Amino acid sequence: MRRVTPDTIAIVDLAVCDRCGLCLPLCPPEALHLELNILTVDDAACTGCEKCVAPCPVGALAMVAYA
Amino acid sequence: MPDVDILVVGAGPAGAVAAWQAKLAAPELDVVLLERDRAVGAPVRCAEGVGDAGLREFANPDGADWVSRRITDVILESPDDTQVVLANSGLGWILDRTRFDAYLAAQAAAAGAAVLVGAEATAMSRNGDERWHVRVTERGREDLYRARIVIGADGVETMVGRWAGLDTRVPARDMESCAQYVLQGIDFNPNAIYLQFSNAIAPGGYAWIFPKGVGIANVGLGLVALKTNGHNARQYLDDWVARRFPSGVRTGYTVGGVIVHTTIKKTYAAGVLVAGDAAHMINPLSGGGINNAMKAGRLAGCTAAAAVREHDTTERRLASYHKAWMEVLGEDHLKYYRLKQALEHMDDAFLNSLARTVNKVVPEKRTLGRVLTHAMIRHPLLIPVVARFFV
Repeated sequence: MRRVTPDTIAIVDLAVCDRCGLCLPLCPPEALHLELNILTVDDAACTGCEKCVAPCPVGALAMVAYA
Repeated sequence: MPDVDILVVGAGPAGAVAAWQAKLAAPELDVVLLERDRAVGAPVRCAEGVGDAGLREFANPDGADWVSRRITDVILESPDDTQVVLANSGLGWILDRTRFDAYLAAQAAAAGAAVLVGAEATAMSRNGDERWHVRVTERGREDLYRARIVIGADGVETMVGRWAGLDTRVPARDMESCAQYVLQGIDFNPNAIYLQFSNAIAPGGYAWIFPKGVGIANVGLGLVALKTNGHNARQYLDDWVARRFPSGVRTGYTVGGVIVHTTIKKTYAAGVLVAGDAAHMINPLSGGGINNAMKAGRLAGCTAAAAVREHDTTERRLASYHKAWMEVLGEDHLKYYRLKQALEHMDDAFLNSLARTVNKVVPEKRTLGRVLTHAMIRHPLLIPVVARFFV
């Protein structure tokens, strides 16, 4: 899937994340995974679209510069 | 490698009823129900409200220990706190989901299904033997299950659907971000649920008070993030609670997503059925999903049992599940979704004036239909939508 922003990807703050799974179906490239109680972002698949950030009920997702 | 006929992923209302009904329909089959969390029913990610008629198709709430409160009234509130007490709103219940989900899982077990807690499906693939091979992690140990049919009842994340190649994604405008406290020591009518509609309080959704007892309630809200001022659901909830219940004691807290869309285009694949929240089977107007999930679970369980008996678990055979669901509730959800889209255009000033207009109607005629009729008179845009809704 084409990158939406050239230089950012989503990161998750696991200290804030409640593991509710709300963000998973919002991700167009299905780059978010919740497995064994840990939410992870597949860096290679994330397109930087930011669709997961605002809907998080606790603000656990943010965008960062892609290293 | 455990070899089973039907593997159900997720022991919420959809999954537990699917396992239960599959076993009732075909007692000779091996049915396994998996729950990822350490206890069925926990953590609760739900406001716990349910309608009486739908619930009674599956369980009798009279005197049941999985009920928190019987509800006889619905109170709608406008942005300026004007209350409209609905007439003929029907009977409802606030469940204790921890106990209710465990009760349903116990029905599945009593019918002969195996219930496993702390068991998470982490991947699955289809092999040449017409079985799904499902990787299951349980207390650090990995097992590979072989299943003729996998029923995905894994909630909003819906990984089974994704693994089966179904499109389970949802646009941001159709995702309600929810936050809820259990508040104690607050003052309200314990026989009524309260729903407050306001773009300032819960943009694109509503805020609720669902009584669990006298002075105790689930107090929460759901909103559409695209319509907010940049704050998240928890921040919106903190603002609302601070204004409405400044002295309420917070004894519980939960967050979660409610998909207010319509049923996914395809709820089945070869050897796979998807049910409940996982298939977006939620009433897009109310956000209610418990009765829907149980009805879908029953259809999925019975379809799966019949298909295994017939030795035909092809996509073509399982398509009857989707058709049956659409006839039971799926088509209604398409109508509710159109109504939801039209109602999204009402601003706070309009909602305030609507509440005052409706309150001029005599109390016994203040029905939901009357509220919508008044909304139409002032908001002609709604007329074609509501006309379809009531047909």
